[in-house]
Amino acid sequence: MILRRLTAALAAGLVALAASCAAALLLGPQPISLAAAFAGVEPDAAILFGLRLPRVLLGAMVGAGLATAGVALQALLRNPLAEPFVLGVSGGAALGGTAALAASALIGPATMLGALAGSGTSVALGASVGAAASTALVFALGRIGGKLVPEAALLVGVVFNAFAAGVITVVKVMVPPEDAARLLYWLMGAVGYADPGTLVAGAVLLGLAVTVLVALSAQLNLLSLGDDEAASLGVEVGRSRGAVFLAASLATGAAVALAGLVGFVGLIVPHLLRRLFGPDHRVLLPASALFGAAFLVLADAAARLAFLPLGSEPPVGALTALLGGPLFLWLLRRSDRSA
Amino acid sequence: MIRKTAIRPFRASRASRVVAVAALLACLPAGRTAAVEAPADPIPRTQPLWLGPPAPARPARVISLAPSLTDTVIALGEVGRLVGVTRYDTSPEVKSLPRVGGFLDPSPEVVLGLRPDLVLWLADGGAFPAVRRIADLGVPVLALPVVGVPDVLRAARVIGAALGNPAAGERLASEMDAAVRAAELAAAALPRRRVLLVIGRDPLVVAGPGSYPDALLRIAGGENVVTGGRPWPIYSLEKAVADDPDLVVDAAVNEPADAIQRLAAIPAVKAGRVVRLPDDRVLRPGPQLPAALAQLQSALRSELRPALRGGAPAGEPR
Repeated sequence: MILRRLTAALAAGLVALAASCAAALLLGPQPISLAAAFAGVEPDAAILFGLRLPRVLLGAMVGAGLATAGVALQALLRNPLAEPFVLGVSGGAALGGTAALAASALIGPATMLGALAGSGTSVALGASVGAAASTALVFALGRIGGKLVPEAALLVGVVFNAFAAGVITVVKVMVPPEDAARLLYWLMGAVGYADPGTLVAGAVLLGLAVTVLVALSAQLNLLSLGDDEAASLGVEVGRSRGAVFLAASLATGAAVALAGLVGFVGLIVPHLLRRLFGPDHRVLLPASALFGAAFLVLADAAARLAFLPLGSEPPVGALTALLGGPLFLWLLRRSDRSA
Repeated sequence: MIRKTAIRPFRASRASRVVAVAALLACLPAGRTAAVEAPADPIPRTQPLWLGPPAPARPARVISLAPSLTDTVIALGEVGRLVGVTRYDTSPEVKSLPRVGGFLDPSPEVVLGLRPDLVLWLADGGAFPAVRRIADLGVPVLALPVVGVPDVLRAARVIGAALGNPAAGERLASEMDAAVRAAELAAAALPRRRVLLVIGRDPLVVAGPGSYPDALLRIAGGENVVTGGRPWPIYSLEKAVADDPDLVVDAAVNEPADAIQRLAAIPAVKAGRVVRLPDDRVLRPGPQLPAALAQLQSALRSELRPALRGGAPAGEPR
């Protein structure tokens, strides 16, 4: 039964991913010929393989990471409104990455230490540490009388986001203008043009995080019943939760390091999939990875194409927020009614 | 615990990086140049820098990624070689050219589609990932940090040489150099006025030390009331009132002229000692330099009326 549903979900996910990748590879501001690109004719080959393909890969990785992190956080918090962006985890990651960039700018990017601090690797590391720290904060402060209260945790997340945004604004004022521009571009939430090294580092990090989360998906089913119930069913609650928590932080940190603040992917995708395939995390998690990838690749292509007449492209984060904000409010109203 | 888990994948990635990059490049058709590994901080901050493969001696298809660089190409008499400009370019000479995006978001796809053999980039952190990708894909990019007046002169020479017309570059640079010297001479005859250069009014953004308008103002013989470390500070109105400038130069040309009354708390604004600039020349570090200096000096001269001169403290000559 589960196997059949899993197969169906994965097959559908692969089809969706293939379709959105094809769309993103074929469509763009510059019309290209596939035959010419494969024959190595420039600029078609450079546009297809040098620009669109790396961008599709980046979007797919970030989407998969954010969607699975969303599912994991929703299970941990036992609330469908939990999401890396809303919970402040993305904000913490942005703060961590900003700290690394600012350290580089203030030490002096020409020095070895400064260059090291400003490298993609240390930004990703800073973002992951920031994500883990903010997750810890949200889960620690979201307790009332020793019990995790989802609404309290969400509120802590929202407040922490505002705090992180304030700190980042202050940092932007402190660093030299060219570094502020770099920071701004990164935080906009754009799937841009990371170099191959960063792409590979991101793939390794996100692959690890998603694998851990998929491996823990059966335990997530039990954890989402409640701590006592999970413990009575033989789950080592503290340890499993710690592992899920770290993997979700790592996925969010890596995603933010690669693409900045892209919000609501972890809300939109799992919500859609729950309606299609039900709440079983063994299906939901791997499906979220595939559909999350498909969703962000498609959203990025849409952002790229929708504003073509204006000669500009909004960052994909604006598009996901446009879709995710109303969905969040709708979910909030609905959970209000059921309570 | 957190640190350990977070660090491990990085180590693994470093080891597998070469393999994976090779795998990625293997997807590319044969004969393509491999991606160039960029140095740690390749955003040039002081010196012009070439990115990507070497440019031809006389590039025929040039894209400019900044209006001030477009101005330079036009001033060099080489506008015929431009095939693309930014969406902020307003010069009539390039009106019909394709737009390739803005400062922060040049579209690499549109740039490559125009098959350029030279891209001129006003080095800036925001567009760096896109520009580096353009260079990695085989387009020569000339990155020019242009902040101060010496940078403008150097950019004229470097762009002239890059276009295979070093004589024109040299001529343009010496013209601008002569204008700077003439302005300095004229400045000696002007009484030193303390000036507030308003770039934006809501919020109040002013030109501080290290910005291009500040450099022009110094040459023109004015004294910037704004001190401190930031080139484009968001300035407190209170501070502006306390600074009590002799003259306010309104360079916020995209905002309505009468909105300067919002700053009426500044005595100079209240007394009408405001000169509104007709265009954004003082903000465009390029061949408009002589005209920009002339604008500022005429602004400084406009306040020579004796009634206004009385209360103004004469600055120390520099």
